[in-house]
This record gives sequence, C-alpha cells and structure tokens, in this order.
Amino acid sequence: MSTQSAAAATALAAIPESYLRLFWKVYEESYDDVSARATEELLVLPEFAVLAHQVTGEQSAVRQEATRLMLGQAVDTGSWEAYAEDLVAQGDLYGEMGLSFVSWFRAVSVVRNIILPHLVTAYGESTEDLVGAVLGMDAFFDVAMATIGNAYLLKKEATIKVQQDAIRELSTPVLPLREGMLILPVVGVVDSHRAHQLTQGLLEAIRRDRATVAVVDITGVPSVDSKVANHFIQTVEAAKLMGTTVILTGLSPAIAKAVVTLGVDLTKLNTVGDLRGGVEEAERLLGYRVSQIEV
Amino acid sequence: MASTLAVPILRQADILIVTLQGDLGDAEWAKLTDDLLDRVAERRTRFAVLDLSVVDVLDSFACRTIVGLTNMVALRGPTMIVAGIRPSVAFAMVQLGATLPGVATALDLDHALSLMTHG
Repeated sequence: MSTQSAAAATALAAIPESYLRLFWKVYEESYDDVSARATEELLVLPEFAVLAHQVTGEQSAVRQEATRLMLGQAVDTGSWEAYAEDLVAQGDLYGEMGLSFVSWFRAVSVVRNIILPHLVTAYGESTEDLVGAVLGMDAFFDVAMATIGNAYLLKKEATIKVQQDAIRELSTPVLPLREGMLILPVVGVVDSHRAHQLTQGLLEAIRRDRATVAVVDITGVPSVDSKVANHFIQTVEAAKLMGTTVILTGLSPAIAKAVVTLGVDLTKLNTVGDLRGGVEEAERLLGYRVSQIEV
Repeated sequence: MASTLAVPILRQADILIVTLQGDLGDAEWAKLTDDLLDRVAERRTRFAVLDLSVVDVLDSFACRTIVGLTNMVALRGPTMIVAGIRPSVAFAMVQLGATLPGVATALDLDHALSLMTHG
C-alpha cells in the first residue's frame, strides 16, 4: 500500500461516522441516478466524449457497481484502505490519460452538486440531519478530491521527469570517433544543471573509452552565462587532470565576447574555429594522418 | 598517528612506479615524498609514475604535495607523471580550485608508460 493511499485512508476514517452514515444512506439510495446524471453532464465536455467512445456502457456500469460496493463496505466497517487505493488509481489514470486539470476537477466535483438536492429531499424536515449529511459529504469529497488530485499531479510530474531525462540523454551524446578520440557535440541552451551533466558524461566517457583527446563542439550553443563558461573551463581542467586534452570548437561571436568579458583565463582553453579544424587538430595530437587517395 | 605505512615504490628498468593503495594522510604524504626523492637517485631513473587510480579523495594538501613532489623529482632529473585520477576526483579538484599546474597527467599506468616511450 502506498503512502498516498494510506494517508487518504486515515483522512477518510477520521470523518465523524454519524455524518458519513447520513450522507451515505442517501447516496446509496440514489447511486444509480447520480451516476447516470454525472455521466450525462460530463459527456458534454469534449475530453470525456472521446473517453466515452473507448469504454462501453456495460464496462462503466460494472465499474460503478464495484465502487458502490466498495464504498458501502468502507462505511460499514470503517476500513478505507481499498477505497483509498481506488482513488489513487483514479488519479493515476487521469494523469496518464493527459486529462486537463479543469476536466478532472469537474469530473470529481460534478457528483457533489447532483447529490445535494437528494440530501435536501431526504432530510428537509430535520435541519440537524441535513447539516450532518452535508458536512459528511463535504468531508468525503474533500478527501477524495485531494487524494485524486495529488495522485494526478504526481503522475504528471513523473511523466515530465521521464521526458526531461529523455531529452537530456538525447542532447548529450559522447561519441567515440577514433581510437582515443571522443566528440561531444553540444546543441541548445546550456544551464548549470546541464553543464554539470555534460561534464560528468564526458569524464565518464573518457575513463570508459580511454580517450586522450576530446573535441567539444559548441556551435549549437547560442549563449552562455558566467557560471556555464566557468563550468566549461572546469571541464577542460578536470579532463586535463585525467590525462586528456580537450579541444573546444565552434565558439560563436557572442560566446567569444562573453568569455573575454568575463575575464576567463584563456590560456587554459585549447580552441579551434570549427569542428573540422578541431578534429584535424585532435588527429594530429594522436598521430593520425588522413590523406585523400587519388581517384 | 602512531606509525605511518610505507607506500611501496616499484622499479621497472629506469621507471619508478608508485601505486597508492588508498587515501593517504598528511604524514604519509610526507614520508612518500622523502622515500621517492631518495629512490629517484638510484640507478638512472628517467621517469616516475604516481598512480592514483584507487584514490577517492585528494584534498588541497595532497594536491600541493603532488605539485611540490613533481617539481622536486624534476630537480633531481626524472620526469614525473600522475596517472589514473578518477572522473569524480578530477571534478571535485577543479571545483576546489585544486588543479595540478605543470604536472603531466595520464589516463592510467598503461597510458603513462606509452607517453614515456613515445614522448
């Protein structure tokens, strides 16, 4: 059982039982009517209309009945674990489907508005009972919405994290070009986090491939700030400590300006204009001679 | 510290090889400096290799010692090469501003030996 659903179960169990029973009595009686009308209202939303096509009426009826039984059991026994897990699963599902925030909020809250008239009809005679039932309903839906919302957001965050990692990995390949030579083409904006990752990736690759020369090409980097410029310098120095020469190529005019304005010590940098020049220099350092055969 | 462990210094023809077996304390660095400076005078030593491949941490004292040791060894003739600094150690060092100015470095012992034979 996850900590998410455990927290929800505790919160649900904390709702005063008498309130909950007042609310559940009416909800149970009107359950099928409430479900039908909620479905009807939600189908107006385009996002749900699309979903409805994927689920048959029979399937959703089965699911509604299962939820009703689960809820009834929870109210009777006071143990909410199974229902709490179901709420978390719902939130996960909404997050996975990419449902918009507005829609999931609507999906959870629409039922509340439909039940209210039922409560008034049932308890109109007794203010005390009516207030109790409304309090029970509010407390119940607050916990349900918080739980589903939390699961929804966690799912979305997890999705974003996976995508970020994928983008980062795609954008920082370290390529072995020749025996002892690595190429690291850097494309796109480099922030401190990414600079750190680039450095780590390069140093690990140097170790793994026993590379003695690495060409870092930053043609695709539009600009750098002082932090990132320093990070590149640190990368060069760290590689040097490991016994590897780093050649930096493709510095744009903006970056060249920035590096000088920042007062970075250029003697530590081994720079060549473009990637081709950098590779040629690396080949020279490694003792390769590339020549064109006559055709 | 009651006693300082001696770091073994191996000889292969005209090359001295020092492989650190772990992180050294200040006293051990001092003893290694003395021992190595003594040994470089034996026979006709041309190179010394300091292999740091199993070292996890190099503090600023260790870095200064290595730079000093390199210069001292050079004054007595041989060239010293530092080999096998790990990626994490290298990065930690530059972040502390502890680089090894003027020290020749190599990926590992093998790379150091090939640098000696091929210049």
